[in-house]
Amino acid sequence: MDDVTLSYYIKPVLVLGCGNLLFGDDGFGPKVVEYLKENCPVPDHVAIVDAGTGVRDILFDIAISERKPRKIIIIDAMDAGKEPGEIFELDVSQIPQKKIDDFSMHQLPTSNLLRELKELCSIDVKIISVQVEHIPDVVSPGISASLVGSVRDVCEKVLKECV
Amino acid sequence: MGEKIVIQPVTRIEGHAKITIQLNDAGNVENSWVNVIELRGFEKFCIGKPVEELPRIVTSICGVCPWSHHLASAKACDAVFGVEIPSAGKKLRELCNSIAYTEEHILHFYFLAGSDFVIGPDADYSIRNVIGIARKMPDVAKRVVRCRWLGAQMLEIVSGKSIHPVTAVPGGFSKPLRKDEVERLKPMAREVLDLAQFTMDYAKKNIFPQYLNVVKTLGVIQTGFLATVKNDGALELYNGILRMMTPDGKYEDFTYDRYTDYIAEHVEPWSYLKFPYMKKAGGFSMDLNNPVGIYRTNTLARINVCDKISTPLAQIELEEFRKNFGRPAQLTLLYHWARLIELLHNAERAVELLNGPEITSIDIRKLVVPRAARGVGCVEAPRGTLIHDYETDSNGIVTNVNLIVGTTHNNAPINMSVKKAAMQVIKDGEYDEGILNRIEMAIRAYDPCMSCATHDIDGTLPVKINIVDKKMNVIGTLKNF
Repeated sequence: MDDVTLSYYIKPVLVLGCGNLLFGDDGFGPKVVEYLKENCPVPDHVAIVDAGTGVRDILFDIAISERKPRKIIIIDAMDAGKEPGEIFELDVSQIPQKKIDDFSMHQLPTSNLLRELKELCSIDVKIISVQVEHIPDVVSPGISASLVGSVRDVCEKVLKECV
Repeated sequence: MGEKIVIQPVTRIEGHAKITIQLNDAGNVENSWVNVIELRGFEKFCIGKPVEELPRIVTSICGVCPWSHHLASAKACDAVFGVEIPSAGKKLRELCNSIAYTEEHILHFYFLAGSDFVIGPDADYSIRNVIGIARKMPDVAKRVVRCRWLGAQMLEIVSGKSIHPVTAVPGGFSKPLRKDEVERLKPMAREVLDLAQFTMDYAKKNIFPQYLNVVKTLGVIQTGFLATVKNDGALELYNGILRMMTPDGKYEDFTYDRYTDYIAEHVEPWSYLKFPYMKKAGGFSMDLNNPVGIYRTNTLARINVCDKISTPLAQIELEEFRKNFGRPAQLTLLYHWARLIELLHNAERAVELLNGPEITSIDIRKLVVPRAARGVGCVEAPRGTLIHDYETDSNGIVTNVNLIVGTTHNNAPINMSVKKAAMQVIKDGEYDEGILNRIEMAIRAYDPCMSCATHDIDGTLPVKINIVDKKMNVIGTLKNF
C-alpha cells in the first residue's frame, strides 16, 4: 500500500501558526509562519504550516495517525492579561484547568486535544504565544503595532525549539 | 426554585456556542437558548474590492469548509460577469467539491459525532474523544486517517492547494487536469469509496440499531427543509436549483437569485445570529407545538428534498432510508444517517467524474469582463445551503455583499431541538454529564460551524455548567474536566 502520509506529518517537528488573518491580532500565528518561510533558515526536519482556522483537522489526523511528529509547536496569540506584545510559553499541562475556560473570545486552539496529544500520544507539545492588544468584533485584518516586533522574536524562539 | 443552567462551550462542535437552559420551580425546562457568535463585518470588508478577488479572500472566513466558500464565491462572480463557464471547468469544480465533502463527512462521523456513538453518549469525557475511537477501533482509525490524507492529496493534485484553495476563478477553473494525474487519482478515489461503503455498512449494523431509541426521540421537531436539486429533482451539491419543502412534503423550486422571495430573516434580541425562515409562511415561531416558518438545511434536508440520487449505491441507500423513515424524515439524529448517504454519493461521484472523458479537457475557463451587475452563487456546503450574493459597479468593484451560511439557516431548528432534548432529559431538576451530553448531541447532529466568528477554536473544549437562580446568582457549577 502506498504511503500517503502528508509531508508535514512525516517531519519530526511540526510548527503550526494558528489564527484568522481577518481578525486583527488573531492573525499573529499566520504572520509568524509567513515570516519564517520568507526570512528564516528553516531546518529540513521542520515542517511549517499556516493552519489558519483549520488547525483542528490537522490535530485530529495526527491523533489517530501511526506516524506522528515528535514535537508540535503551536504559535497563537491570546489574551492572558499581560502587556500587549509580550511573548510567553506554555506547556499544555501547565495551563490551569479553569484558565482553559476563561479565555473568552480568543481561546487556545483545541486545548483538550493538545493535552490528549501530549499525554496519550507522547508528543512534545510546545505553545508559544503573544499577548494580544486588540481582537476586533468585526472583520479587520492586520496585527497591532505593539505585536509587529514580536513576530521576529517569536521566529527566533521557534527556531531554537526546532532541535 | 427556578434555575438557569448555562453550558459553555459545547464540546466538539466547530466553534463556540453557549447554551442556557432555564428551569421552572419544579426543576423542569421552562426555556432554552443557544447563542452563536456570528461573523461580523465581512460584507463591509469586501466592499470596494475587485470582485474577482473574493473567491480567494473568502477562504479566510472559515478553515473548516474553505472549498464551499471558494466555490460559492466563484459562482457568484460567474453570475456577476454574466458568463456560463465551460462544462469541463464545472466538472473540475464539482470534483473538488466531492473530494472536500468526503473529507468533511468522514471527519464528522468518526471524529465529532462518532465518539458519542462508538464510545457511548454516557461514557466519561476522558475516553469519549478521538483517541478513544482510535483505541477502540485501531484498524478503522488507520483507514480513516489514510482516506483523509488521500482526500488532501487529491485536492492538491487537482487544484494545487487543499487548505487555502485558489483554483476556482471567475469564468471557470485555472488549472487543467493531465491524463497522468487522472490515472494517479483514480485508485485514490476508489479507496475513499471503499471506506464510504464500509462506513455505511458499519453504521447500519453496529451504530444506528443500537441507538434507534435515542434517534427516535432526541431533539425531534417538525420543520420544512431547504436544499439544492438538479432540474430533474436529483440530489445536487454543486449547481442546481433550490427546493423549499414544507413539513407536509409539498415543495416549490426556485433559482438562486430568487432566494429573497422565499427566505426572510427574523431577529431575536438575545442572539447576534439571525433566524432565516420561510417567507411564504407569513411569520416566524419556534413554539415546539406550533412552529411557523421553520426550515432546516444540511444533510437531512438534502436527502429529504431530492427525488432521487444519480449514483447507484447512494440511490439504494436513499430507498432504504425512505422505506424506514418516510419523506420528509423529521428525526433530528437522522442527520448522521443522511450524512453517510451523502458520503457515499460524493465518493461515487468523484470516481464517476474521474472516469469521464471531459475531465482532462483544457477548455475550462472563459474570459470575463467587468460590468455593473448582481450575481448570486450558491452551493450546498457540508453544513447547509451557502449563498453568496454580490453586486458590482461597471468596473467590477464590489458595492454590496450578502452571505447566508449553512449554520445560520439552522439557527432556529438548533434552538428548538435543544429545547426539546432538554425537556426530555432534565426532569425535576435532575441532570448529570451524560444527560447534558445528549443535549449537545442534538446540536452536533446539525454539525454547526461557528469557526467563522470564533477564530481558531475547534470545539474540543470542556463543558462548564453554571446553575443560577432566578436572580442569576450562581448556586452550583458542574463541569466535565
